[in-house]
Amino acid sequence: MANRTNVGGWLQGKTVRKGGITSTNAHSTRSNTPQVQSTSTTVFGGGVKDSSGRTSEYFSMDDQCPVCKSDRYLNPKLRLLVSSCYHKMCESCIDRLFTLGPAPCPICQKVLRKLAFTPQTFEDLTVEKEVAVRRRIAKEFNKRRDDFQDLRAYNDYLEEVEDLTFNLINDIDVPQTEARIAAHRAENAALIERNVQRDEQYAHALKEQEEIERQEREQRASEARREEEMEREEREKGRREIIDRLETSSKNAAKVIAKSRAEANKRSSARTAADTVLKSNAQLLRSRAAQSTVVPDVPHVPLQDDWYAYEDIYTLMSSYEDPYSEAVRKDREGIMRAGGYRVEEAWERALRSAVMGLDLLPLVGQGISDVDKDPSSQPDVVMAAA
Amino acid sequence: MAAENSTKATSAEAGSSSLGKKKPLYEASTQYKNWRYSPERLEDVRTQLNAAAVAVIRNTFEADEPGSSSGVAFLDAGEEQLLVKLYISKIPQLCGHFRFPEEVEATAISYLKRFYLKNTVMDWHPKNVMLTALFLATKTTNNPISLEAYTSNIPKTSPSDVLDLEFLVAQSLGFEFAVWHAHRALWGIWLDLQSLPDLSADLRPQDVYEIALKHVRASRFTDAELIYTPSQIALACLSIASPLICQRWADSKSAVSPSSQPLSEVLEDTLGAIKFMVMQAGQPPDVESVREVDRRLKLCKNPEKVVGSKAYLARIAEDEHRAEQKRNKKANDVRRALAEGDPFGSELTDKEKAERLAELDEDDD
Repeated sequence: MANRTNVGGWLQGKTVRKGGITSTNAHSTRSNTPQVQSTSTTVFGGGVKDSSGRTSEYFSMDDQCPVCKSDRYLNPKLRLLVSSCYHKMCESCIDRLFTLGPAPCPICQKVLRKLAFTPQTFEDLTVEKEVAVRRRIAKEFNKRRDDFQDLRAYNDYLEEVEDLTFNLINDIDVPQTEARIAAHRAENAALIERNVQRDEQYAHALKEQEEIERQEREQRASEARREEEMEREEREKGRREIIDRLETSSKNAAKVIAKSRAEANKRSSARTAADTVLKSNAQLLRSRAAQSTVVPDVPHVPLQDDWYAYEDIYTLMSSYEDPYSEAVRKDREGIMRAGGYRVEEAWERALRSAVMGLDLLPLVGQGISDVDKDPSSQPDVVMAAA
Repeated sequence: MAAENSTKATSAEAGSSSLGKKKPLYEASTQYKNWRYSPERLEDVRTQLNAAAVAVIRNTFEADEPGSSSGVAFLDAGEEQLLVKLYISKIPQLCGHFRFPEEVEATAISYLKRFYLKNTVMDWHPKNVMLTALFLATKTTNNPISLEAYTSNIPKTSPSDVLDLEFLVAQSLGFEFAVWHAHRALWGIWLDLQSLPDLSADLRPQDVYEIALKHVRASRFTDAELIYTPSQIALACLSIASPLICQRWADSKSAVSPSSQPLSEVLEDTLGAIKFMVMQAGQPPDVESVREVDRRLKLCKNPEKVVGSKAYLARIAEDEHRAEQKRNKKANDVRRALAEGDPFGSELTDKEKAERLAELDEDDD
């Protein structure tokens, strides 16, 4: 979904050039400024988009076309594109070689089309290739954890995907790998389609939520503006009123002013009350949204996974009369409790050690012993080691 | 994800092995697994160790000077034990001097006892082993002190005295440094007494605790910790101080204990045995008798470990010889590899690989 909307981005020619590491010579200031470049002559599907949906192109002052050997010095507008076999060449070479239809790559002889050239995003072309391969694989291998019975099967699946990816990236057994991918696609067509739809739905829901939040924000802002306006008007009115009253009434001036002030105060406090109601509504909404996305996480106590920690033999009281920990408990500033020391944990440890192994009978006779089963503990070995 | 996998696997294993019943935590400790003996076994280990050491030393004496071993009165296991006990009694003194917490003291004593279940006094004199065990205990219980500060406060001790033995001690302990102590169990019992409804504060005066603690300290002179669990030792010591309080607490635990065997039955015999042990052996040994043992130890020490003796020199020479051989072999290998062309050597065959691996294992010693 996100990809599709972004496709329009580069078709409209929003390509930003990015300076390479080597561009530190006199021209660097100029070359580092982003340039929007027309891409009408090339249509491509590669490149990596940033969050705003634009492709940042890799660009360096040392660029040289490997085919015609022209470089940035000879042709300041030199632009290198990457073929589907991951070889670079300049736009004029591409025009020259591929305008008349598919032709072999001048470097590796693979048959290429003009449309299959993409801008370069990464300095290292292997990274470029890996990103492209991974994107392609991710489109088809989109199963999730809940599509498998157990974790083991899911892990195996992930491993297989990683194997395929590795093979494609490093050109190992490509025909075989492609066959495996095709087989997978055939087998899981329905599932893949479903997962794609699910992803789209998720993205859609996310977008909707964002939209709602944005609207809410806007609404709040306009509300605040309106309120401010109202408040100003009211103040104005109040002032006029005071003047009017002072004109017409024969009472003490100070009293009249105090009375109108009190009225104004009452009005404004009513308004703030309404405000807080509104705010709390917004907060409620937000917290509900947060709840819907966060899966409740049961706290995990590793100690009690496989082991019985005697928890039913003792009960920890909330406080003990204990001269040992008196200093810690009386420490008001909490210096002694720094680093998360809790006297309750010390107590619990003591209680646990008071009941642990209470029912263990001592060993009798020549029973099991470590000396027999562990040859390394023989004394002569130790002596030799010294 | 893999971690999740493995925990699942182990929990499934534990579940199936004990039919859903979890294993008590204490049985996971190395103290339970590797340092728990029956009294007979303890005796046996010490006698065997002593006999083996005597045989080795007698051989060395004979190799040095035939017939020289006949007049030597070797120590027996009991005498060795006496000497160790004397040095155990030095540890609380040192700890008092350095103001180390009780944890350090108890741990060091455990280390010393455990060390002499794997080594004999005739090889390693307990004086330095004791210093090393204590130094090690400060580190393993998170009460570190710098080596300089440590040795400069002990007369006639240099840093190397402590460091030379450190690895040996750690190795003899099997690198199992965690020890469960009776004094913590006693503290726990004392805290837990407060949750007994019918035992008000004036029925459990603080000096009962102090007396019990004194007995816990005395129990460190005995083999109790190698036979019984810390909680049992603590309870026995409390029982010496106040049988009534002990009984009350034990009864309250009997009521909730999930074990199949009634707790009171287990405790009755066990507590009696520990009490006997603490009263009987819970004091430092008589210095005069130990002095006599120490005098004889000077004569029957393993000569390979006495600097300057013929056997010591022979051992050093042999070690050097072996090292020399190894060096020569290495140099030869390198020369040959260079001559063959590839400085990194040619591909190893499986047999050669196995040989190299065996060599590497030797290097580890």
